[in-house]
Amino acid sequence: MSAIAKVFENLKRAGDGAYIPYVCCGDRGTRFTTGLVKRLTCAGADIVELGLPFSDPLADGPTIQSAMVRALSSGFRTQMLFDTISTVRSEDVKVPIVVMTYYNPIVRMGEKAFCENLSKVGADAVLAVDLPIEESSELDAAAADNGLDVIKLVAPTTGDERARRIMNSASGFVYAVSVSGVTGAKDSLPDTALALLKRLSDISAIPVALGFGISNRRQVMNAMSAGASGVVEGSALISIYSQSSLEEDALLDLVEKHARELKNATKQTLHCDE
Amino acid sequence: MTGEGYFGRFGGFYAPEVLVYSLKELQAGYSKLSRDPGFKEELNGLLSTYAGRPTPLYCARRLSEKIGGATIYLKREDLAHTGSHKINNALGQALLAKKTGRSRIIAETGAGQHGVATATVSALLGLDCEIYMGEVDVERQKLNCYRMNLLGAKVNVVKSGSRTLKDSINEAMRDYASTSDHTHYLIGSVVGPHPYPTMVRDFQSVIGAETKDQMASATGKLPDALVACVGGGSNSIGLFHPFIDDREVQMFGAEAAGEGIDTGSHSASIVAGKEGVLHGSRTLILQDENGQVSETASVAAGLDYPAVGPEHAFLNCIGRAAYTAVTDREALSAFHLLSETEGIIPALESAHAIHLAANVARELGPDKNVVVSLSGRGDKDVDQVARLEGKS
Repeated sequence: MSAIAKVFENLKRAGDGAYIPYVCCGDRGTRFTTGLVKRLTCAGADIVELGLPFSDPLADGPTIQSAMVRALSSGFRTQMLFDTISTVRSEDVKVPIVVMTYYNPIVRMGEKAFCENLSKVGADAVLAVDLPIEESSELDAAAADNGLDVIKLVAPTTGDERARRIMNSASGFVYAVSVSGVTGAKDSLPDTALALLKRLSDISAIPVALGFGISNRRQVMNAMSAGASGVVEGSALISIYSQSSLEEDALLDLVEKHARELKNATKQTLHCDE
Repeated sequence: MTGEGYFGRFGGFYAPEVLVYSLKELQAGYSKLSRDPGFKEELNGLLSTYAGRPTPLYCARRLSEKIGGATIYLKREDLAHTGSHKINNALGQALLAKKTGRSRIIAETGAGQHGVATATVSALLGLDCEIYMGEVDVERQKLNCYRMNLLGAKVNVVKSGSRTLKDSINEAMRDYASTSDHTHYLIGSVVGPHPYPTMVRDFQSVIGAETKDQMASATGKLPDALVACVGGGSNSIGLFHPFIDDREVQMFGAEAAGEGIDTGSHSASIVAGKEGVLHGSRTLILQDENGQVSETASVAAGLDYPAVGPEHAFLNCIGRAAYTAVTDREALSAFHLLSETEGIIPALESAHAIHLAANVARELGPDKNVVVSLSGRGDKDVDQVARLEGKS
């Protein structure tokens, strides 16, 4: 059983959900990324999604686009992703790491070399946003050969039959996109998200994490009650540290506090206190 | 890589899951309508009575004499309504959108020609229209921007990335991801995930089909060579496609060498690119060793794109078509040459093809015939050229 599968199994046993923050690698420098990942795990993050920036992120809204631009314009290279993962592993970060990116940086390195590198530095899974099941056989094979899970996306417009195919070919968990659109923080969960969660839980037993638009504890609790096994938060987290002139430690304090709130919202016990 | 929408190993369906449902619907809609005689009849009617087709095939005698080689024929797409070949595809897709129940059209534009064509057909068919255009392109193509407004379209200025065509495509895709239930994304070139490269090529193939008939009437035979400029590659594939099985017809594509391939400031993705995946297709892309897409440059906004239609990547790969890069300077010189010898001011994009056609004509020598796609008229570029040459 993969590390990710174990995380979900343990959480399920406790009746909790997974809190999965997204971090754009290299935004404000890789040293900041390392610090951020450590703080997020201190706050209780169960899995970390580490974004490999891409020049043309067409599924991302303005917040993540800007983070990628900041990283790339400061000279980010793919090697820095591997180095960053090595560093966080050497600094005792144990949680599974999912590398999330677009397909082209993977193609350029080659699926095989990319997955070998990920595996070597201690990453657990890979997710390519613009790689639908029609085109994913090469990455699937390379990931499997290197013991990596392949996380796949399901959207509100994905029909049941297609969702079944996606869920059957995914490993670790499935990433359910809350809304037809791009990434970006929102205040509430759209009905499409709740309907999708309900539908997916009837199709397969693989854990489902809900993402796109997650920013507050109310959304997290609603997602959990609707059957999600976890939530992914990206843009809202980035906004905390990108829209502030505070010192780095103070920023990380803010991020940690926010992450702790969202993590708590994934816990079954807290639901009863509400 | 044996799925739908492949040209050899290029093309494919690299779309985020949020777009898959709509793209499959589009595939089904196009597949059904493209076999429907009623749809073809309606489209052909509009192409003829509204867009002014067939466009003339003109024998450019003074240009040919000046160059001193093969006889050069100009396929006059500049005389189509809105001033470029873009209307062919815009009419086809807008009609498809209307028939599949879409009330809103979005499109990206570089030079503004596709934006104008899209705004035009949206007005014609009573569809809401929004155009994404990079800030840099808005600056160099102000007139086209205003034309779109006149036609009732809203122009959204794109300020992300390099603020040119590729970023306008990103922005249009983001819009489409949340609006595809009522919106059609009218891509202007043979790029994007399946079915776009095939569908746009089909709508543009009218260029080559007419050329074949017109050359038969004019000369009683096939042309010896075809020449067209290649940004994304829609006018060129439109000219080339009906001739692909005519092995004796040579095909030449002119990419934009900008300030020169060596300077790194260009848009020649076939000549200088590497295989990758961008905007839904596996194709040749200008990118760095990390797979980050390069910023591109060309005096012609319509060629300023870091990738190329997958079918061109395939034709290059199998050697069926040859691609050469033409510099800004060479294109500007051809811009003047055609204006002075024939009284035709070409779009800067098409001027790249004129330069290459002159080289091809010289190499082929007399008694041969070359057809060059004059993809657009140059009115939109007059201001820019005057500025570049210090005359305004």
